[in-house]
Amino acid sequence: MTSVFKELKGLNGVVALVLVAAVLFWPALASDYLIGFGILLLMWVAYTESWIVLSGLTGYFSFGHVVFAGLGGYLMAALWLVWPEEIEIAGVVIGGVQVWASMLVSAAAAAVLALVVGYPCLRVRGPYFVILTFGVAELVKFIVINIEAGLSKSGRLMLGGPDTYTLYYLMGSLALAAFLLAYFVSRSRFGAGLRAIREDEDAAETMGIPVTRYKLTAFVLSAIIPGVVGALYVLRGGYFEPLQVFDPKVSLTMICMAIMGGSDDARGPLFGVVFLSVLSEILWAKFPLIYQILVGLVLITFVLGAPDGIWGRIVQATRRRAAGAVAR
Amino acid sequence: MDVLLSGQLLIAALVTGSIYALVAVGLNLIYGTMRMLNVAHGDLAMIGAYVAFWMFSLFGLSPFLSLFLAMALSALLAAIFYHFIFKRVMASSKLLDRAEANSLLVFFGIAVILQNGTAALFTTNPRGFQYLDQVLQIGNAAITANRLVTLILSLILVVAVVAFFRFTLVGLALRALIQNRTASQIVGINIERIFLYSFMLGFALSGLAGGLVSMYEQIWPFMGFPYTIAAFVIIILGGLGNLFGSLAAGMILGVLETFGIAITGPNFRSILIYGVLILVLLLRPQGLFGGKRVVAR
Repeated sequence: MTSVFKELKGLNGVVALVLVAAVLFWPALASDYLIGFGILLLMWVAYTESWIVLSGLTGYFSFGHVVFAGLGGYLMAALWLVWPEEIEIAGVVIGGVQVWASMLVSAAAAAVLALVVGYPCLRVRGPYFVILTFGVAELVKFIVINIEAGLSKSGRLMLGGPDTYTLYYLMGSLALAAFLLAYFVSRSRFGAGLRAIREDEDAAETMGIPVTRYKLTAFVLSAIIPGVVGALYVLRGGYFEPLQVFDPKVSLTMICMAIMGGSDDARGPLFGVVFLSVLSEILWAKFPLIYQILVGLVLITFVLGAPDGIWGRIVQATRRRAAGAVAR
Repeated sequence: MDVLLSGQLLIAALVTGSIYALVAVGLNLIYGTMRMLNVAHGDLAMIGAYVAFWMFSLFGLSPFLSLFLAMALSALLAAIFYHFIFKRVMASSKLLDRAEANSLLVFFGIAVILQNGTAALFTTNPRGFQYLDQVLQIGNAAITANRLVTLILSLILVVAVVAFFRFTLVGLALRALIQNRTASQIVGINIERIFLYSFMLGFALSGLAGGLVSMYEQIWPFMGFPYTIAAFVIIILGGLGNLFGSLAAGMILGVLETFGIAITGPNFRSILIYGVLILVLLLRPQGLFGGKRVVAR
């Protein structure tokens, strides 16, 4: 922990403080539309930071992370109005059970799904893992669609959800939690082990790193927050539709944001999220086709020109400047 | 039960399977040699379909002639992508280190550009044309002439491609490259040229398949994705780099899909396809016809 406080001195600390303050006071200053945009930004931060815990650090490239969000969203919708409105624990009345009880269930379910799916899937490497995770996500999606069709439900309407402000701060907490998770994992001994797996799994195993346990732990850690985010996402829309909640584009957007920002450091995804979200907000509504084509071009340019992402570029530039200063 | 035995379904399964095999053989060439996740593969079929559609609608050109144009355009796109994008990816060790991630993103970028570019040019309305749609009777099963031609042409082409790579020097070089990139470079194979050839031929086959499909199915800018998915299932089922395996697996998937839907209903199509994909990846990642050697990377 002391090293973290040391890190927070100077520029890093100022930036962190400004960011946290901006997130805290944003709803007080912004219009409804901008608060909605804020929720989206925070949602993508939570997704992308979670994703890099597994895929950025281990190189096991999950192309199906939306499955956790979808499961969380599905549970939130299925359990809507099932819980009592408030419960009493040791004389204290706690309200909002509808929301937080389902959030807890979603988190637990995402973790269990990651555990069950992760054990067999993480034995498969490289491109096979990419295709496998995509396949699992699509399979779960179509199973849910068939279940819903069997129950003759075409979408579920959820009335009486929490207001925008509550959702904003809940999403903000998740974004912060995901950021801190990525931050601490990437700086821990565990994180070093995950990077060793990325560089050379066989060598890592020979060195005594418990690769299976590490990979599985990373998978579960990276699944929990997306599960809860998915639950909140459904609440935000007030409507559950499997094709939308399990949309593979969500997995893809996480990947794009992480790669554009830089996926080896918790700070990287923030850049990717802001960059792509702002681009999308400006162009999506008016010129959807041009926006998509532009995203395609930007993606190719980033992979070829800045494979370490925006953050990787920043680090490079500052190092070069530091080296220049020393030389002088 | 009568439907299952009538032969009608079998013909439908064979047509679907042969088109799948055609698309998958092309994907297998690209994936096998370059180890890149070509998620834009089905979109070349879309391009081919649009070429056939426009040539027919504007100039009344028979799809069988515009098939060559579709192939040429797809191969040209492949050459352009190769020279401007993939040559650089293959040359950089940093990009190759995470080849699956990077290739996925680059090909996704290409797919998005192709899909939305087509949509911007020709709108997203489904289109179609009639060509050779008289119904033929084979035994107690009926089939439209264009489907029959598709079946025969795709089978001939897939077998020709398989034979080409089995019996020619280029084919030998390509198979060597699939087995071991470094070793084939050491023995003097010009791997860059093989990359380019396999890339162009792979795309051309996909474009060709699209041209064939356009004769009997409606086309639209986002029609490619199901073909991409089917092709990935097939090359994993048939084995990476195993072209004959792709043919067999294509037919298996065609039969599985057609009969599966007939037995369980259309809602289960995707569950079936993804279920097969996951099972094969978990149980036999080397493919149904592969040896004992597990392809880890």
